Amino acid sequence: KSCQTASIATANASAQAWSHVDAQVQTEAPVPVSMQPLSRYDMSRLTAFLRRVETMVIRELNKNWQSHAFDGFEVNWTEQQQMVSCLYTLGYPPAQAQGLHVTGISWNSTGSVVACAYGRLDHGDWSTLKSFVCAWNLDRRGLSPRQPSAVVEVPSAVLCLAFHPTQPSHVAGGLYSGEVLVWDLSRPEDPLLWCTGLTDDTHTDPVSQVVWLPEPGHSHRFQVLSVATDGKVLLWRGVGAGQLQLTEGFALVMQQLPRSTKLKKHSRGETEVGATAVAFSSFDPRLFILGTEGGFPLKCSLAAGEAALTRMPSSVPLRAPAQFTFSPHGGPVYSVSCSPFHRNLFLSAGTDGHVHLYSMLQAPPLTSLQLSLKYLFAVRWSPVRPLVFAAASGEGDVLLFDLQKSSQKPTVLIKQTQDESPVYCLEFNSQQTQLLAAGDAQGTVKVWQLSTEFVEQGPREAEDLDRLAAEVAT
Amino acid sequence: EVEETLKRIQSHKGVIGTMVVNAEGIPIRTTLDNSTTVQYAGLLHHLTMKAKSTVRDIDPQNDLTFLRIRSKKHEIMVAPDKEYLLIVIQNPCE
Repeated sequence: KSCQTASIATANASAQAWSHVDAQVQTEAPVPVSMQPLSRYDMSRLTAFLRRVETMVIRELNKNWQSHAFDGFEVNWTEQQQMVSCLYTLGYPPAQAQGLHVTGISWNSTGSVVACAYGRLDHGDWSTLKSFVCAWNLDRRGLSPRQPSAVVEVPSAVLCLAFHPTQPSHVAGGLYSGEVLVWDLSRPEDPLLWCTGLTDDTHTDPVSQVVWLPEPGHSHRFQVLSVATDGKVLLWRGVGAGQLQLTEGFALVMQQLPRSTKLKKHSRGETEVGATAVAFSSFDPRLFILGTEGGFPLKCSLAAGEAALTRMPSSVPLRAPAQFTFSPHGGPVYSVSCSPFHRNLFLSAGTDGHVHLYSMLQAPPLTSLQLSLKYLFAVRWSPVRPLVFAAASGEGDVLLFDLQKSSQKPTVLIKQTQDESPVYCLEFNSQQTQLLAAGDAQGTVKVWQLSTEFVEQGPREAEDLDRLAAEVAT
Repeated sequence: EVEETLKRIQSHKGVIGTMVVNAEGIPIRTTLDNSTTVQYAGLLHHLTMKAKSTVRDIDPQNDLTFLRIRSKKHEIMVAPDKEYLLIVIQNPCE
């Protein structure tokens, strides 16, 4: 017996869309929320409602205050990551071939793009060398570690970088020549948006750090603040055809520094104080901390009114911003960072290899930790854990410190470079809080994924931080 | 009278914030800042309605009397009513 399937019927047909519709989608900046004005409501009904529920609510509040039902109860929603691992190793071969270091690093406002600035930190005759700003989009498929998604060629070494707080593609950089430039990375053919040019107003020394600040009164427009070792702190605004115009300026002069602590005697005259780092307080938008070449952090305010005793030319009157001087490090301060969780705490790191934790209420530091036998180049508070900070050392390590675990030694030590060449900069990603990017002297940027303990806040951390800040020495 | 009651609740141990929201989810009285209040009011109003319908679906004779959400950082308590919601946020001792 044999069997066979019946013949299968086939047919050909073709289809084509007759009409099509085009549509474009774009996100808009979020509208700030405002509470509805108090509409007319029935006062008596509201009173009756509150009378009904008050006893029940008070009873629950009391029960909750004394309850031990949830002691030690923890829920894990996400997969626990136990180790710190290196997610990406990024570099730009032409820059590395010239022996350039990664001098600045920044994450953009969406947290998906990391940009690095190339330059040299050991000042030599590199002022005429071409350098680069490179950006990698980590969320894009087909990410190539040796090929950045955006490269900008810059005529002078770039020493610092900062992404715009709301525009995902705008980035500001400070150059060795003292200029400040703003680029738009979404325009590859002509990325330069604004520049200061070389005028009387520009810095006469390399720019140490740039920061974006909201304009007073217009919270969605931003200005760029630059600090440099010539002692000037300048506020720029983009006007007209690509020109950055000076709106406000400050100058640090030795004679005008508040004498809250004893400083080394300096020669008479209007000696400038070089500024090497700046950090703004997250609680008071006009308060900022400056790190100086003399090793002493300064508490400054944008609202300071006293005129600076300087003969430096400027189109805008320069003011003296310093309000308080803190006890110095043993060498220049290279980085400062204000705590996002406590209004009085900030960290500073310098060439003496120490990190100082200061409270703004007193001059001597609350604690001083020796993290390295060489220089420390960067220190940053974690954006999610109030008691955690990271530091970049001259020995090629990224140190993670958890003040809750140990107040003496770092909790995790990540070796970034194999040959002990220094790590110059690091930044936490505030959108994807488990990522930390660090750039080193070999021209590579490594993106580290932190273990879960560095990403999730413990239950009493904020209170522990308050207690730490309250240890003000009498 | 209204202010005194709210002040009494707000001054209880560990209470971070108190607010009264009307039936449409619009805040009427609050001790927190505007943006936080608007956020809490909108989200908790939805959640309370969902909790109420859950209880009623399981047993139509039953009704929601109180809603508590415990999170890592604090506890949110909602006392619902036909016209208003009273929301209290407390930081319990550990």
